[in-house]
Amino acid sequence: MSTEKTIRGSKRKKQIKQYTPFYLFVLPAIIVAVLFCYLPMGGLAIAFKDYKMARGIAGSDWVGLKHFQKLFSDPNFYRVLKNTLTISLLSLVTTFPMTIVFTILVNELMNKRFKSVVQTITYMPHFLSWVVVGTFVYQLLSPTGGVFNAVLLKLGVIDAPIYFMAQQNMFVPIYLITNLWKTTGYSIVIYLATIAGIDASLYEAASMDGANRFHRIIHITLPAMLPTMCTMLILQIGTLVSVGFDPIFNLYNDATYQTADVISTYVYRKGMVESQYDYSTAIGLFQNVVSLALVLIANRFAKKANPEYKVI
Amino acid sequence: MARKKEKYTHVKMKRSTGSKVFDTLNIIFMVLFCISIIIPFWDVIVRSFSRAQDISYMHINFLPKVWTLDAYKYVLRDDGILHALFISVARTVLGTILHIIVCSLAAYTLTRNEMPFRSIITTILLIPMFFNSGMIPAYLNMKNLGLLNNFLVYILPSAFSMYNTIIIRNYFYSIDKSMEESASIDGASQLKIFTAIIFPLSKPVIATVALWQMVGQWNAWFDNMMYTRRTESLTTLQYLLRRMLDAITNSTNTSASGVEAMGSLVDTNPDTIKAATTILVVLPIVVVYPFLQKYFVQGIMAGAVKG
Repeated sequence: MSTEKTIRGSKRKKQIKQYTPFYLFVLPAIIVAVLFCYLPMGGLAIAFKDYKMARGIAGSDWVGLKHFQKLFSDPNFYRVLKNTLTISLLSLVTTFPMTIVFTILVNELMNKRFKSVVQTITYMPHFLSWVVVGTFVYQLLSPTGGVFNAVLLKLGVIDAPIYFMAQQNMFVPIYLITNLWKTTGYSIVIYLATIAGIDASLYEAASMDGANRFHRIIHITLPAMLPTMCTMLILQIGTLVSVGFDPIFNLYNDATYQTADVISTYVYRKGMVESQYDYSTAIGLFQNVVSLALVLIANRFAKKANPEYKVI
Repeated sequence: MARKKEKYTHVKMKRSTGSKVFDTLNIIFMVLFCISIIIPFWDVIVRSFSRAQDISYMHINFLPKVWTLDAYKYVLRDDGILHALFISVARTVLGTILHIIVCSLAAYTLTRNEMPFRSIITTILLIPMFFNSGMIPAYLNMKNLGLLNNFLVYILPSAFSMYNTIIIRNYFYSIDKSMEESASIDGASQLKIFTAIIFPLSKPVIATVALWQMVGQWNAWFDNMMYTRRTESLTTLQYLLRRMLDAITNSTNTSASGVEAMGSLVDTNPDTIKAATTILVVLPIVVVYPFLQKYFVQGIMAGAVKG
């Protein structure tokens, strides 16, 4: 028994030695993961502490759930939570159906050349940073020289230029349109990849049986897109409480906080601008935990809906 | 099979009137869609070539009234903008090289199915994909590591990504094992096998990941705002544009340096200068776009659909 163990032990040692170069190869990756993912986890402790910069994370006093109690009695928090949910739900119900309709329309284009031109053009914004997109939007809607105001004035719709970006009730529509502008082309590419996998003989057989174009879309194209649709939908639900920081931050300003401020931007301002490190860490932690739970649940559903789907 | 396809197109050619109407409307709709994508680009191009006095909401200019290179001359003579361009290029080049080295080596290791502790290592590398500690802990961590106001903060945290590593690993799996084995018998070291055989054979996937990373690095601005905003010499082009945006909207959500940045620009016209800077930021993306389009689609196929 014991000799067997030592034999196995020495065999394992030999094996480890044999793989030494590989451990060295993966070491840089592990170091990066430890330095920039695992180390900061220690910093989460300040969500439960009264953080004093001078005393450091370890030296600060524990305060238990004080920051979370504050969180749930902070009217601003409910405002940003409401904004976060509103914006993510509205973008879900707009982008999702729009993308499917657009994909089908692009797919129905007869001219191959035109089809690829449309894809090339619409896919482009995906590669721009939100800073650039924000610049575009501010410029187009600017009250002093923006094209949009100029057109509305020319058409006589308005008498004086409007500063759209400073209107509280305009923020969400502007955000949704901008989001569509930036992401539709990309989603179309993903869906078209699925459609490309459809067996052409299916369409042929359907036409033989007298199915018109509309029938073919409803009975062949759409069902084929269904697994990808499910996956995308579920994954989007997983990100319900985490509206991205970038799009909001580059579109909002202090005039529109009331409707535009979401959890991530609120965390940024509380922490980096007002230096309430401990409180904003607590808000961030709350968001991350809820997000993580939603993503894990969503992943589980995505796997069930589409057995081919794999995260890893 | 070819005959079948022919037949299919033949069926498609015999279209009903309704179908023709649909096609026409569809084409019109798509043209409008494309125009709506192009408008912001067109607008910024026109602006960048316009004279400052020609820009006003009273006029809609499809083309500059008078063509001028004033804004570009200003931008290309401004030390701050040129230095920011240099920093952006530096982080893009160095960041991408480092990323490829770290990820491809890690991916190579993860192809060793028999390796002891392989699953533990995989788990350690996977968790960062699903959990991050948030803005403030990350900031305090950078501070502790001495990376605030340090160029390394642009390239070290992004040196490794599990997602890209998995994509590369999947490609490595598809490489014929026999080549590696024969090299191994000839006494080549693992590093030699990797650099001489595996890496060169994986050019398509390396190119894909490199392009992703280049775009990511070029477009990054948040790390600049968080970790290096007090060091003017580390300002990237994206963040410079972000500060111009700040100054113009008079927003209070970033530092006051935005206003300072604009200070030097106010004497000329901020609008045209901003437009020319935007062009400078977008141009590299447009130049590599044909490659991006090709490789991104491949990457999506490899990553999202098949896993």
